[in-house]
Amino acid sequence: MNPTPARTMVRSPFVLFVGVILTWFIAAFLVWPNANVLIETFFPDGRFSGRAAEKLLSSERAMKSLGNSFLLAAALSVTVNVVGIFIVLVTHYFRIRGARILFLGYATTFIYGGIVLAAGYKFIYGDKGIVTALLSDAFPGMDRNWFSGFLAVLVVMTFATTTNHMLFVANALKGVDHQTIEAAKNMGASTWTILRRIVLPMLKPTLFAVTILSFLTGLGALSAPQVLGGREFQTITPMILTFTNSPTSRDLAALLAVILGVATILMLTVMTRMERGGTNFSVSKVSSALEKQKITHPVGNALVHVAAYVLFAIYTLPVALIVIYSFADSAAIQTGQISLDSLTVDNYIRVLTQSSALRPFVVSIVYSAVAAAIAVGGLLFVARLLQKHRNWLTAVFEYLLHIPWILPSALLALGLIISYDHPNPLVGGAVLTGTTVILLIAFVTVKIPFTLRMLKASFASVNSSLEEAGAIMGAGTLYIFRRILLPLVLPTAAAIAALNFNSMLDDYDTAIFLAHPLVQPLGLVIKANTDGAEGAEGVSNTFVYTVLLMIITGLTMYLVYGRARRRDASTAPRNGAPKDAAPKDTVLSKS
Amino acid sequence: MSLIVHKLKSVAAAAITVLLLAGCAGGAGSPAASESASSGTSAGSSSETLIVYTNSNGEGRGEWLTTKAAAAGFKIEIVGAGGADATNKLIAEKNNPIADVAFGLNNMYFEQIKAADAIESFTPSWAAEVEAGLGDQGDSKAYWPLVKQAILLGYNSDKIPADKAPQDWTDLWTKDEFKDRYERVTGLGTATAQLVFAGILTRYKDDSGELGISDEGWRQIEQYFQNGNPAVAKTDLFARIAAGDVDTGQMPSSIIPEREKAFKVNVDVVKPSVGVPFAVEQVALVKGTDKKDQALKFIDWFGSAQVQGEWAQEFSSMPANKAAAEKARPEVVEFSKTLKQQEIDWNFVQENIGAWVEKIELEYMT
Amino acid sequence: MIRLENIEVTFGNFTAIPQLNLEVERGEFFTLLGPSGCGKTTALRTLAGFIDPAAGEVFIDGKAVTRLPSDKRQVGMVFQNYALFPSMTVWENIAFGLRVRKEKPAASDRLVRDIAQRVDLSASQLRKNVAELSGGQQQRVAVARALVLQPKILLLDEPLSNLDAKLRHQLRQQLKELQSEFGITTVYVTHDQDEALAMSDRIAVFNKGVVEQVGTPQTIYDASATEFVCTFIGDSSVLTSDFVSELNRHSDGTLAPGANSYLRVEKASLTPPAGNTDAVPVRGVVVSRSYHGLHSRYTVRCHGSELRLLVKEDGGVHPVPGAEATVYVRPVHVLQYDPQTGEAVGNPALAASRP
Repeated sequence: MNPTPARTMVRSPFVLFVGVILTWFIAAFLVWPNANVLIETFFPDGRFSGRAAEKLLSSERAMKSLGNSFLLAAALSVTVNVVGIFIVLVTHYFRIRGARILFLGYATTFIYGGIVLAAGYKFIYGDKGIVTALLSDAFPGMDRNWFSGFLAVLVVMTFATTTNHMLFVANALKGVDHQTIEAAKNMGASTWTILRRIVLPMLKPTLFAVTILSFLTGLGALSAPQVLGGREFQTITPMILTFTNSPTSRDLAALLAVILGVATILMLTVMTRMERGGTNFSVSKVSSALEKQKITHPVGNALVHVAAYVLFAIYTLPVALIVIYSFADSAAIQTGQISLDSLTVDNYIRVLTQSSALRPFVVSIVYSAVAAAIAVGGLLFVARLLQKHRNWLTAVFEYLLHIPWILPSALLALGLIISYDHPNPLVGGAVLTGTTVILLIAFVTVKIPFTLRMLKASFASVNSSLEEAGAIMGAGTLYIFRRILLPLVLPTAAAIAALNFNSMLDDYDTAIFLAHPLVQPLGLVIKANTDGAEGAEGVSNTFVYTVLLMIITGLTMYLVYGRARRRDASTAPRNGAPKDAAPKDTVLSKS
Repeated sequence: MSLIVHKLKSVAAAAITVLLLAGCAGGAGSPAASESASSGTSAGSSSETLIVYTNSNGEGRGEWLTTKAAAAGFKIEIVGAGGADATNKLIAEKNNPIADVAFGLNNMYFEQIKAADAIESFTPSWAAEVEAGLGDQGDSKAYWPLVKQAILLGYNSDKIPADKAPQDWTDLWTKDEFKDRYERVTGLGTATAQLVFAGILTRYKDDSGELGISDEGWRQIEQYFQNGNPAVAKTDLFARIAAGDVDTGQMPSSIIPEREKAFKVNVDVVKPSVGVPFAVEQVALVKGTDKKDQALKFIDWFGSAQVQGEWAQEFSSMPANKAAAEKARPEVVEFSKTLKQQEIDWNFVQENIGAWVEKIELEYMT
Repeated sequence: MIRLENIEVTFGNFTAIPQLNLEVERGEFFTLLGPSGCGKTTALRTLAGFIDPAAGEVFIDGKAVTRLPSDKRQVGMVFQNYALFPSMTVWENIAFGLRVRKEKPAASDRLVRDIAQRVDLSASQLRKNVAELSGGQQQRVAVARALVLQPKILLLDEPLSNLDAKLRHQLRQQLKELQSEFGITTVYVTHDQDEALAMSDRIAVFNKGVVEQVGTPQTIYDASATEFVCTFIGDSSVLTSDFVSELNRHSDGTLAPGANSYLRVEKASLTPPAGNTDAVPVRGVVVSRSYHGLHSRYTVRCHGSELRLLVKEDGGVHPVPGAEATVYVRPVHVLQYDPQTGEAVGNPALAASRP
């Protein structure tokens, strides 16, 4: 694609139309609210205040937590790749017995995360955990609290965040031309050599992208350090959330968020740079589909099988336990003593029969679906424009659309409140607070950066001559878009929409600020039902809601991703999708 | 023209414009809203349903109140949220209020809301029946007391006999037998935690000290964090007591009986000589409601000795209404009488609590 | 040099090759030809060691290699899309196999430069990324990469199919030259009959996993052993039994009227062929004519057959559509096949070339 001068670009009515809407949206919902919140915190009386920086610099805890967050990010970039690449190879590259079962086990991270996942691991490896009990029988002198601190957090987060590998690296692997592997075999290369010298280099762009995502996940880590970090290893995100909620300390939250945001942008820039060099994807137009490789070395084969199934156990045990615990009474859960007769469906009856139990599910599903549809639907046009026309104007737009990655969603929500709790000409003089629209706007905005990057990559993988072919036959821009481009990117768009949908289902951070009190989404109800303040049943309710959410998200993934994949694997972007990045907010909420 | 219509249809982004223009009054924006049984939009709704914000709807309180109110001729819709969240919401919605009444929040929260000008002064019919010291201390009173809740230090009485138990919070970090055996908070987001610190810090008020607190006071806080056993996310204090991880920790009075049963432990409370902080749940009228008359009638009914008495009977609470106290459970009243209310300068707390929390988060919490 | 003995290849329930016997001579350019899905690539990949046959043996140089992995068979392969490693430079691509063999760097470099020179790749091209090369250059890299290991056999899997027609012609030439220069036994897979005829010493025509005929290009063309070979190779007209009877009437009557009969387009003419007295004149009407510069293609209807033929545009006067014309056909050129078995009839010489 050649750069199009900005002046030529705006001559097209289609571009103009999308551009006007986009400009308004960016100005009203990305720039204005966030500028407001930053100005209000850093320039409280119209003058710059360095208070936040001073406070933070002199706080040992803040500095240590910040350091821990970066340490976790760096370590996670390595460990997630090791585990992630391994599970992708085991499920998609090597011929392993029971690969489908293994895949389902590794895919459990698609359907749950956050505090429940961390708690699940604690139930197994914590001081009262099953594995700890077994170990301490074998080694009576051991420290029952062995699974805490940095290593425990790193281990749990490593296994919790291989989702991106399962999605993007697996997809990129499908694009590797099988003939290159045969060629290398023909020249005598071993399984290991082929992997190291042929396959992994071809996955480099995708690996860069998921490495960035892992880094961001580590940076935004919340639940795992809270549950498993212990005294020594706390991270910065809990502090950001506390300070966001306290009007007098919001400047600290904003400053910390900006530090993380700058790190995010730096990483993105580095990634884009690294991506530019070299061709890593297949040079041929015709490539043959990858076939699973047998590991010829018998010992190596056995070792890989063992490792694959050990990982499978690590991945599935917490899920199994959560499902079991959802049937147990809360005292049994809290004290860790579960017997078969303590399992009943009482928890489900209690959750599902409380007054209007179904309503929050409906509200959340509708909100998430509408927001996912608007984000993906709207950005389809935007991504197309940004991908097709490259000039200073589109570059500016693209940067602006990444704003939601710089600030945590709680601050974004605050920005919306500050800007729209009074009549504002930007939205036709309406007051948005106290309406159902404001939460929808927040949901859409937080999904923009992830959706945009994924869609852009998807468009980039579309052969440009298809579009030219359409144009030659007299089709208009919109017609070409609808009939030619859309069907090609639709599988990716559907997958992105599904990911977006799932990540918003149990949103709490934005909803707590913005939800209409009578249209409360699930996240708030879950929080109300699971916090200690609501009674001893809170913990059992957590598990019930988690299982119910697992069912919904599992179903969504199956409906959209599983079926789309079966229908046509090849239209999914081969090396494209992964240029990109996953939602920072899921990263936050599912860490 | 048809082209434009077509574009509008296909450009999903445009849909949001439509939503904004059509739905800004609230409700219409989300399909979910249309099925709201009470059509609970704010301004412009002709429905007489009162929207009630509260953090005190758990354990059946919300349902009980809705039913009782209906019997008395009030149609209400309870919206539950934590104290801090309900506060933020009321402030955020002040230009487009949805709630008509708010109750359950304590003095500290309502003081914030009042400062943001989101609630309105009023005088309920039962004003004379409550102790003046429990409610709004300002000249124009915007919130009125309903329920007294003590913030207590509880300990495992099966393990620690009364004569060996701590006598005050400060014992926890000064006496070796309690070090590492008391649960300390890992966050200051909850009202209970903030009240505990208010109760400790206000004892060391010193106008020349940092944030109005003497160095000695801050040393106490430092000791509290250094010697405490950090709370564990998603694990209830009572569960940890039952498991033997810790012996003592902070708790509001109302939850004790029920948790004792659930986790099969017995807990006794510490009664320091300075008294214990009381969180007084209040009720207020939201500014800008178009159902003001109805809302005031509801508050008169809800705060009356009759209803407060029944509430106290049902939920083992200690009513602020003196006439209602006669109807409360005798053991609760008895227990309440044994607790001395700590003298706390709420204005001083309200002015400084934000800065205190920040300082504690940054410097003492490890 | 190569012998495939009773090879059977199955994929699950599908039998790709039921029973295959082939022999390739040393130094020979041997082509596996057939439509897509006929099993020719499967046969090649079995030979290369990428597919384990369900039954049968593969011999290379008299040694059974059926159970040996690909790299132990001393075969080099050029893939359909060249399968160049996109993350490596040209030099690294060619040197890959040498590095795997742990060849000394200096020796590797010498071998790489040597082979590069022989396939006409310059030193500057060696430093390039493979994506920067044209299709033809990529092909030479692929050939160099296969040959640098000095295999006994070179396998080529449709290496020209991705290229445009002109380049294909040019590379076909180069490939053939390289092969004769190196003198290496080569097995070539293609669906392009033109390519097969022009390049091969011998051709095996595949259909549905079965070899229909093995022979020199000329035998395959002129004496197609089966109806499939006849219709797959070259261009021919279908003859009606009426037409065949007409030919029998004017000759010694050896053709079978009930058989499926074909005549190659270049074998019929509008003028009596010089020196051949057995040509039979058949009368018909010109249906159409299309002009091709070098020649024109005519369709003449006679005795129910739409006979197609080529007329050289040498400046002579030729009939126009609608005009009557006489077509000269030699009965010996008529290819006849049994309608049931598809095998050649009446011509024992043809049947003999079946494997």
